[in-house]
Amino acid sequence: MKPHEWSEQLLDAMINADRSGAAELIGNALANGIEPQQVIAEVLDPAIVRLGHLWEKETMSLAQNFVASKIAEDTLLRCVPDKTDSLCTKGAIVLGNIEDDFHSLGRKAVGLFLSAAGWDVYDLGNDVPAEELLEKAIEVNACAIGASAMMQTTALNIRKLRQLIDERGLTDRIKLAVGGAVFNWRPELVSEVGGDGTANNAVGADELFMRLQAEVMNRQGTP
Amino acid sequence: MATLMGQPVDRLPVFAVLGAYGAKLTGVNLRTLYSDAAAYSAGQEAVLQTFGFDLVMTPFIYTAISEAFGGETAWSESQAPNMKRPGIKTAAAALLHPLPNPEQTAGLSVVLEATRRLADRYKEQVPIIAVLPGPGIMPSLIIGLEQWIETVMFEEELAGRLLDHTAPFFVSWANALLAAGADCLVVTEGTAAAEIAPRSLFAERFLPYLTTTFTQISGPKVLHQTGGRITHNLDLFSGLAGLVGVAVGSRDDLSEARRLIGPDMNLIGNLDNLSLPALSAGQISEMSRSCLDAAAPSGHYILSNAGADIPLTTPPENLRAMLSAAADYSAEISGNR
Repeated sequence: MKPHEWSEQLLDAMINADRSGAAELIGNALANGIEPQQVIAEVLDPAIVRLGHLWEKETMSLAQNFVASKIAEDTLLRCVPDKTDSLCTKGAIVLGNIEDDFHSLGRKAVGLFLSAAGWDVYDLGNDVPAEELLEKAIEVNACAIGASAMMQTTALNIRKLRQLIDERGLTDRIKLAVGGAVFNWRPELVSEVGGDGTANNAVGADELFMRLQAEVMNRQGTP
Repeated sequence: MATLMGQPVDRLPVFAVLGAYGAKLTGVNLRTLYSDAAAYSAGQEAVLQTFGFDLVMTPFIYTAISEAFGGETAWSESQAPNMKRPGIKTAAAALLHPLPNPEQTAGLSVVLEATRRLADRYKEQVPIIAVLPGPGIMPSLIIGLEQWIETVMFEEELAGRLLDHTAPFFVSWANALLAAGADCLVVTEGTAAAEIAPRSLFAERFLPYLTTTFTQISGPKVLHQTGGRITHNLDLFSGLAGLVGVAVGSRDDLSEARRLIGPDMNLIGNLDNLSLPALSAGQISEMSRSCLDAAAPSGHYILSNAGADIPLTTPPENLRAMLSAAADYSAEISGNR
């Protein structure tokens, strides 16, 4: 079976919330000689991208997406057993639900998918003050911060993070990604809170952070 | 209330979820509003006097439930409180936790006292609406949403045992609210929303708990989608005991909802909560009119926002625009008769 066929089957397992079936499938793929990195790049990643399209078409629920993120995590842990050994990562990213926001599920899914895509994810959890997110980003040399909020009231707290980034002269060095249900419902909030970009779902996060990283590198003249 | 009970009415009713808004009108902070039954009751009185919507509502504060199971609350000045962290970490541990007695649990007893005060003041004048989480989503307030979804998806038998365990609390809480004076219960069942669970999961694992618990609760009930879409499940609700209405989401199509739910069930909604603070009064009026044009002609319709508490930043004129739109519509209809 070719990688894209494994990927088709993995997508089916994700849609049907079949975690054990997915684990068996990945095991079979590895046993059939597909290299772990190939599993991530050519089996898991395409499945995730297609899952994202289904999410955008509103045919996937939170419960299904949750299981899909667990399957992605399972696959990642199986194919990259010790991430600390990995010398080739895309870079560091800091994530957190902004101050007063306690809706962690989406953020955790984003973290899982970004890890699966090769980012070093520093997830600071719920209710994180803007200052803490920025300090961590500086400490780990992150190119972007992902601030999550589910509701409009808490989304507006992200404005403080925007202000801090700008005041510290880091506008071109640290990009601000925003996400959460409210941004899907009201896309204009992204610019209202000072976000540099958003993704409609966890699956789209990798593409977003790649773009933001490229913007940082271009500004800094990094090849 | 007449609309909810299928009786004739003299005008189109309009509902708005304005629990927290009472704090804005009376100048108290939200913690005081939700911790002091007198302050909450005063807030509802101010809401009613200021706007004249066709209801008062008992405190819509789910952290009172999470606290009853040991959870911690995050208070805010801009929104109703949220659960900061659940009191119990796993479904297995939750099975060992005794169910709270509503009358003897701090936050729940405040809700009941506020309900009694509202009943003393408004019984038979405007409907007193109580809001509570449905039996399927209730465990998320006890162990957290993520843990609950994980249990549902990966430990079906354990999830069923937890639902069995907590269902009696849902029933006792609902009946306590009715006994305290609530006229109607709005049951927010997140698992019925398309954004939370697929139809098959809802139908197989959660709907049976609505069916069995509703028969144990004597008052009228409205099923609420908690802000998501519910059209995909509307045909499943016809057998629920005492169901008098369904609150549809802002992205549900009112005409399609009517087709699926049948001619006699009340539909409530479906103004977008997030639009209310963001748009002008004129735009809210147009949106309200659009809802009315789509749903009012077939009757059994209540114009309402389609989510939880209306954001505190919503200008009063936007709320009045909802009322005006319904009044204008009613006047036009009666003028055409």
